[in-house]
Amino acid sequence: MASTDQQPKSQQKLILTTSDDHDIEVDRDVAERSILIKNLLDDFGPDAEIDKIPIPNVNEAVMKKVIEWCTHHRGDPPASQDDDTDNRKKSTDIDEWDQKFMQVDQEMLFEIILAANYLDIKALLDVGCKTVANMIKGKSPEEIRKTFNIQNDFTPEEEDQIRRENEWAEDR
Amino acid sequence: MKRAREAEPSEERPAKIRRVPAVDRLSNLSDELLVRILSFGTVSTLLTVQRVSKKFGRIALDSELWKAAYYNQFVLPRASRISGIKHAKDGGASGYLRYSSKLSRWLDDGHLVKRGSTNWKHQYRLRYNWARGKCAVSEIVVADRPPEPPLLVMMQHGLIYTADSMSGLRVWNSKDGREIIASTALVDLETTAARLPTAMAVDSSAKGGVKQKVVVGFEDGSFAIYALEREEGNLITLFNHPSSSNGMLSAVAYSSPYLLTMTEDHIVSLYSFQGQEQAVSNPLDPPKLLYSLRSHTAWPPVSLSLRTNATSMTASIAYALPTYLSGWTVGIQEMRLSHTGDLLASRLATAADGYFQPVTGRPSTLSSHRTSPTSQPSSSSSSSSSSSSSSTNNTSPPSPHQPTSMSYSHPYLLVTHPDNTLTLYLVRSTSSSLSIGAGTRLWGHTSCVSGAQVGGRGKAVSVSRLGDELRVWDLEGGFSSSSSSVSCFSFSSSSTVVSSAVRGRRGADGDFSVRVQPSKGRLFPASAAVGGEGVGEGDGAGHESSPSSLRESYYAGGLKFALEQKHGFDDEMVVNRGWVGFDERNVVVLRERRRAGGCGDGGDGCEGGGGQQALVVYDFA
Repeated sequence: MASTDQQPKSQQKLILTTSDDHDIEVDRDVAERSILIKNLLDDFGPDAEIDKIPIPNVNEAVMKKVIEWCTHHRGDPPASQDDDTDNRKKSTDIDEWDQKFMQVDQEMLFEIILAANYLDIKALLDVGCKTVANMIKGKSPEEIRKTFNIQNDFTPEEEDQIRRENEWAEDR
Repeated sequence: MKRAREAEPSEERPAKIRRVPAVDRLSNLSDELLVRILSFGTVSTLLTVQRVSKKFGRIALDSELWKAAYYNQFVLPRASRISGIKHAKDGGASGYLRYSSKLSRWLDDGHLVKRGSTNWKHQYRLRYNWARGKCAVSEIVVADRPPEPPLLVMMQHGLIYTADSMSGLRVWNSKDGREIIASTALVDLETTAARLPTAMAVDSSAKGGVKQKVVVGFEDGSFAIYALEREEGNLITLFNHPSSSNGMLSAVAYSSPYLLTMTEDHIVSLYSFQGQEQAVSNPLDPPKLLYSLRSHTAWPPVSLSLRTNATSMTASIAYALPTYLSGWTVGIQEMRLSHTGDLLASRLATAADGYFQPVTGRPSTLSSHRTSPTSQPSSSSSSSSSSSSSSTNNTSPPSPHQPTSMSYSHPYLLVTHPDNTLTLYLVRSTSSSLSIGAGTRLWGHTSCVSGAQVGGRGKAVSVSRLGDELRVWDLEGGFSSSSSSVSCFSFSSSSTVVSSAVRGRRGADGDFSVRVQPSKGRLFPASAAVGGEGVGEGDGAGHESSPSSLRESYYAGGLKFALEQKHGFDDEMVVNRGWVGFDERNVVVLRERRRAGGCGDGGDGCEGGGGQQALVVYDFA
């Protein structure tokens, strides 16, 4: 609060160093979509000189994608710190821009989810999770396995047993 | 370890990797992230995902996921139906009602949250089955022939209490096993003669603890209080009240420390047991008589109830009342007392039947009944002149028949009629006034409704006398004028087993019922031969069929039943004895099997209507 002589927060630049050792320059308010980075900056206080923030869990390609998302959403109301105020939309609706943004291969999709989780960007994490949920929706167990290359470690008997246990809900 | 070893060789073989180029990135996510992903899925997604792999099988059972599903499916629609909650918080009401693991409003399901170890999937399934009328059926034989006076049954907290002169007071487990837990003979301690139980009530103040108390009223006007020691399997006598010259006790209600009794001659007495709240197994001191009155207006059936709040206790008697105009209405006598025993108010109300809403397209059953009004003496109804809102409007009369049973659980007063209908009244009781709203007729049964019970969450169960018809009603929303709140009711999708007759009217009065259907294959064989039962089975098999065909099959079954009755073969006839009780999981009906005509196996029990009595347990788990 004392930093009246400094330039406005949004004009500040930060440099994020990715896991593959690339530096990416980003506006401070964009970077602060990440609660992890925001808390880090808050901990150092307004006067601290921070030039580089290492992000050891995210590589350059993914980081660029994340920053692209954060830049588009820089004007959104700040994310709540409390995980429990589940004000996120329950439905699997995703807005159009985000849908386009998420049209990536599976590897990138899961990398984005992991990065959003690590950087603590709730809204982006939810977009990623919803995208995966939509990929699961309406599929049979076998189709789900195929989509995600999941190994079926059930015996046919075990699988049938679960199917029978859940029969009560089947006639909808 | 084993898994790691298996994974290694495949990584070393590049050919194999090329054949399956993508890795399973989804399964490699943390459990937390997978739960988050599944939290966006529906219940059917959860059930599907459970079968994908062992890891998913475990995660799809995550309690938080099912808790949220339970909330969104059952609590939230209800919350938005109940007026007052919706607008309780300005602005953020919708966010306030949305599920959140800490902040949600759980209404009456709060105990599930507090319990900590709730199996939410199980709870979801239970409520789901209730909503669709799906259950398994089993029965407990309680008597080889009908006892005199008739067997009394109560049900609370997963326990069924029965009392009769032959077998005494017995307590059964209504959950798994359905075994008898404890029993005691009902005999006079001095003469050892059997006492004839005529009324029974379970302590409604107990919150499902280990020790339950039950009061039994007898023909000689005496009553006794027993405590159940569940672990030990004992029923111990806490108190014995001597016989009274006032006559047979016809109804009791018990909410410790208060006891409300009513005699055959409508003398109502309110007792209070003081000072032994803590020591449950100690004998009770004689109670103090707080209040006594003689009611001149009450006609059977009556329903006594006691409810307490922080400052006062309300004892009420709901009763049937003949009216001048045609038929019967209901009244409530209510006494409010402070906890020190001072009478705060005593007041009376009868149902306002002037706004009894006729619904277009209603079947003609009512009018056909009205051509033969009952010959009940209406002279005695003059005593109802003290009522605050006696009927003056005969445009839409109350039921022409004396009700068959009554259940009052504030604010719902549910009355059953022999003309296949029920009437629901909403009772308003404030510190300054008592009134009963206009009755709402509930349709759906296809024979005389012999018993009903109102329970928590505005849920009610009714049973018809003949056949095997049991209906689950949701009374909430019946009073909601907003049609949108009804439409958000998630059970009302077209695939439910709501019969078309009910669904057609739902728009008008906002309520509906679900006919209970025993799941096929699990039907108990003993009564499967009976027409009504056979239909139940048929419905179970073909419940994908349209509602109209469902009804047709039902009527066909009724005809079959009638034919069997007429021919008088040794088919068993099943009569529901007008008692029905339910808790979270089970519905229990007292049923009597009668031999019609000649004895099939030349055995006993074929004399005039005397048959085996059994409790039929409909298990929704």
